[in-house]
Amino acid sequence: MSGNTYYPPSGIYSDNYRKDTRILKTRKQVVLAFLALILLFLVPVVPGINSPYLLRLFIGAGIAAIICLGLNILTGYCGQLNVGQSSFVMVGAFTAGLLNYNYALPLWVTVIPAGLAASIAGLIFGAPSVRLKGLYLALTTLAAQIVLTWVALNFIDLASAGFSVEPPSIAGFYFDTPARFYYIAMAFVCVMTFLAKGIVRSGIGRAFMAIRDNDIAAEAMGINIFRYKLLAFLICTFYAGVGGAIFAHYMMWVQLESFLLIDSVWYVVMIIVGGLGSIEGTIFGVIFIVILKEIISVVGPMIEGGVSFLPTGAGSGFLLAAIGGAAILFLIVEPRGLAHRWKIIKSYYRLWPYGY
Amino acid sequence: MEIFFQLVISGLVNGSIYGLVAIGFVLIYKCSAVLNFAQGNMVLIGAYLFWTFKVLLGLSLIPALALGIVCSFVAGMIIERVTLRPLVGQSLLAMITITIFLSLVLEGVTCIFWGSNPLSKVEIFPKGNVALGSLNVPLDNIFSFCFAFLVMIVLIIFFQRTRLGLAMRGVAEGHQVVQSLGIRVKSILTISWGIAGVAGSLGGVIIADKIGFELGLSHIGIAAIPAAFIGGLESPFGAILGGLTIGLIESIVSGYLGNAAGTPAAYVLLVIVMLFRPYGFFGLKRIERV
Repeated sequence: MSGNTYYPPSGIYSDNYRKDTRILKTRKQVVLAFLALILLFLVPVVPGINSPYLLRLFIGAGIAAIICLGLNILTGYCGQLNVGQSSFVMVGAFTAGLLNYNYALPLWVTVIPAGLAASIAGLIFGAPSVRLKGLYLALTTLAAQIVLTWVALNFIDLASAGFSVEPPSIAGFYFDTPARFYYIAMAFVCVMTFLAKGIVRSGIGRAFMAIRDNDIAAEAMGINIFRYKLLAFLICTFYAGVGGAIFAHYMMWVQLESFLLIDSVWYVVMIIVGGLGSIEGTIFGVIFIVILKEIISVVGPMIEGGVSFLPTGAGSGFLLAAIGGAAILFLIVEPRGLAHRWKIIKSYYRLWPYGY
Repeated sequence: MEIFFQLVISGLVNGSIYGLVAIGFVLIYKCSAVLNFAQGNMVLIGAYLFWTFKVLLGLSLIPALALGIVCSFVAGMIIERVTLRPLVGQSLLAMITITIFLSLVLEGVTCIFWGSNPLSKVEIFPKGNVALGSLNVPLDNIFSFCFAFLVMIVLIIFFQRTRLGLAMRGVAEGHQVVQSLGIRVKSILTISWGIAGVAGSLGGVIIADKIGFELGLSHIGIAAIPAAFIGGLESPFGAILGGLTIGLIESIVSGYLGNAAGTPAAYVLLVIVMLFRPYGFFGLKRIERV
């Protein structure tokens, strides 16, 4: 949970604060980052990994990453648990979907209103954080999940049946296949990741961490707790809304069933496995869980079919037990998540062969 | 008006079950300051264990119930020992989230052993109707209400009167003090999880009599959370009152606004209560120092 302790290689100094808070500190990092970006955008044209199946997996992971980035800012950096994230995703998806369905607005226009609508919902359910904390606040987000689902069910006619949404397009060119949509999803992931990096290294991010570490002490230092907690909720749910809008335009279909309580739990699992209070950890966690989910949803039914005495539904049982078990294992064995492992590997590599 | 009274009666019956499940929340919260999000799944597993003894092994009602109680006690203790014990002293966030993940694992385990299809029905309480003035009250409702209340009263007497119950209340006050008095905090924690498992399984058996043995039983955990909070997380007595309140509100609201509105109404009430009385009606007010 601690902040980023980064020990640069010998000879690299940060002689002012701006340099110290840079995301990319050395020239090598800049080069590597560009290479990674190029590689990321080359994926749909590389044969072997550009099958629609894999690309769908990547896009799903990208959307989950956007949603989890917001959740990690709220939970990992500001210390407020949110177990209703998928309801805010739902608000975003329905806003974008309805704007598209009724007024034929494209993704570029609907994504901001979707984020804002989710933020408004987040502000409403984050408002009790004035008086509540910890467990009690987690409960109001659970209330958000239940109440928002009910509101959608009762006040949006097509909510449970679902309705179609157009894929995004530029001048008649439709991003309707996985290979085409991949670019849009990844562009959003990159932008949102850098935005998140920027937020957490700014004064806002430091205020969040102060609140997380001890909110009474933070208040004594002059941080307006209420304002910053609400801001954290706003950022978190904005990310959820953006993720929801992208999800709506990607699936080309919105319905209530895609946004259940269990999805909110998956998002929490992802950030716990990845590492609370770490942006890159969020990405690791999402990738880890998406891969694990995929493996088990292939292997689970095979076991269920192969072993005769298992009842129907055992396959999905394996999925739940394995992912829940992985999350529990991470909490017990490595509470700082994959991000911490990554740091250990990095420092080992940097110090090699003099690792003492 | 008759509909209203019917709703009140079914609300009270549901409320007694919520109260029973909420006592499970309270037991665990009092000892370890954790809200057990997996309580609903403990309800489910308890009910399924009972079903296994009753239907698969063909035992009669009382032995099956007794075995079910013993097994869910053991299951609760195992859960505490394996998942919660390593986290003693960790942050609250880790403690809360681990119970959420625990609910995933328990649901998964249930699916692996019993499958996701509903199990066969078991008749537990006698069926029939009793005329109460102009109202027809189902007999099994009366039985389940009385049974739930009996269990709750036994649990409260256990909590207030026995040495073990006293030790549990002591653990709730502070681990170090109790430890220095020669009470084993760890075993008390384990036992309280076991008792919460028993409370859950009895609630599960009662509710399974109404809706059948299926995975949806675990939703009662979500539905009973407002009961525990409105009553105050430290008070078993508050849990009963909270359970009855929530049961009434849910039943009346879903009677007039449609079935799906019950649980959301309970949660709306929960948020409102928490805004004005953050620690519920019978909970302890915490004073914090830096």
